[in-house]
Amino acid sequence: MVLKVFRWAPGMRERLQKYWVRARQGMTVLDALVEVQHGSDPTLAFRYACRVGMCGSCGMVINGRERWACRTLLSRLPRGPVTVRPLYNFPLIRDLVVDMAPLKDKMLAMRAVFVPGRRATEDGGLAQIGSNARERRAVDGAVECIGCGMCVSACTMVGHDPRFPGPAALNRVFTLQLDSRDGAHAERGTALLSEDILARCHGQANCTDVCPMEISPADSILALRRRAVLRLFGVSPR
Amino acid sequence: MRDRKTLRRRMNSAEAWRDTKVGMWAWLVQRVAAVSLLAVIALHLKNPFLRTVQAALLGLVLLHGVLGLRSILLDFGWPARWHRFLLLLALLCGGAAFALFWGWRWY
Repeated sequence: MVLKVFRWAPGMRERLQKYWVRARQGMTVLDALVEVQHGSDPTLAFRYACRVGMCGSCGMVINGRERWACRTLLSRLPRGPVTVRPLYNFPLIRDLVVDMAPLKDKMLAMRAVFVPGRRATEDGGLAQIGSNARERRAVDGAVECIGCGMCVSACTMVGHDPRFPGPAALNRVFTLQLDSRDGAHAERGTALLSEDILARCHGQANCTDVCPMEISPADSILALRRRAVLRLFGVSPR
Repeated sequence: MRDRKTLRRRMNSAEAWRDTKVGMWAWLVQRVAAVSLLAVIALHLKNPFLRTVQAALLGLVLLHGVLGLRSILLDFGWPARWHRFLLLLALLCGGAAFALFWGWRWY
């Protein structure tokens, strides 16, 4: 089978380079890339770690769709050349490797970090939220984000408006806004109502479609939007 | 850092459209329907009795409307994972409404 792999390095022109790989049963796109790197082209750069679909580091755009290379079987892809590109909307470092720093930067810009509030330490240690608590169940899926960046790559608004925080950061904000121990709800709530945040999401749910953890960032964003509307009307959202 | 670039999804190639997600099609079709309505309304005002223009007007209004209702349902908390089903439902309802109104000749 033919792999068409995106190649670029600083100072070079981008191109799609063809590699021929003998497809074996159970072979994944990551296996094929490793075979190319170990065999015909050691200069090919890509990132991976666990190889079993846990870490999310091998997120790439395969045949136009964001997928993790280690869980994408060649046999499941349509016949014909397989095109592999790096994630969109992230600065390129080289070939298929992108800089994930904007993911963290956007989270920090949205204060998508736990800020201990009064309730957090009222019993001495850090207050616990039981697994059956209503607020925990409300964010059950959303807390499973592994930060692979595929949702950011699939989001058309991130590419269009660089000030839009993107699905991953907003999903994280959602989990924090529902955390009763957190002390920055009001501050984030105000930021969420600014022009380039919640109002910018077009609800295409591309993020939900590509999330390998089956999280739905679109639901998180829409839930934040409902809370924001209630806040605008002076109703305290639960 | 110098000489670094960010890859964006360019919609000018077949590859970029190859795996366009259903939600994006729904969004895109609704916008195209809205823009097309401007032209069709202008034609309709020039001559309100052209049957093809009447059909286009009705079809585009319904298409834009049902896709808007789909968005409103998602806004009100229907799971985003249902968005494909909701698109299908919206198109079916739009088609049924078109058949109903078009079949009902009032003049």
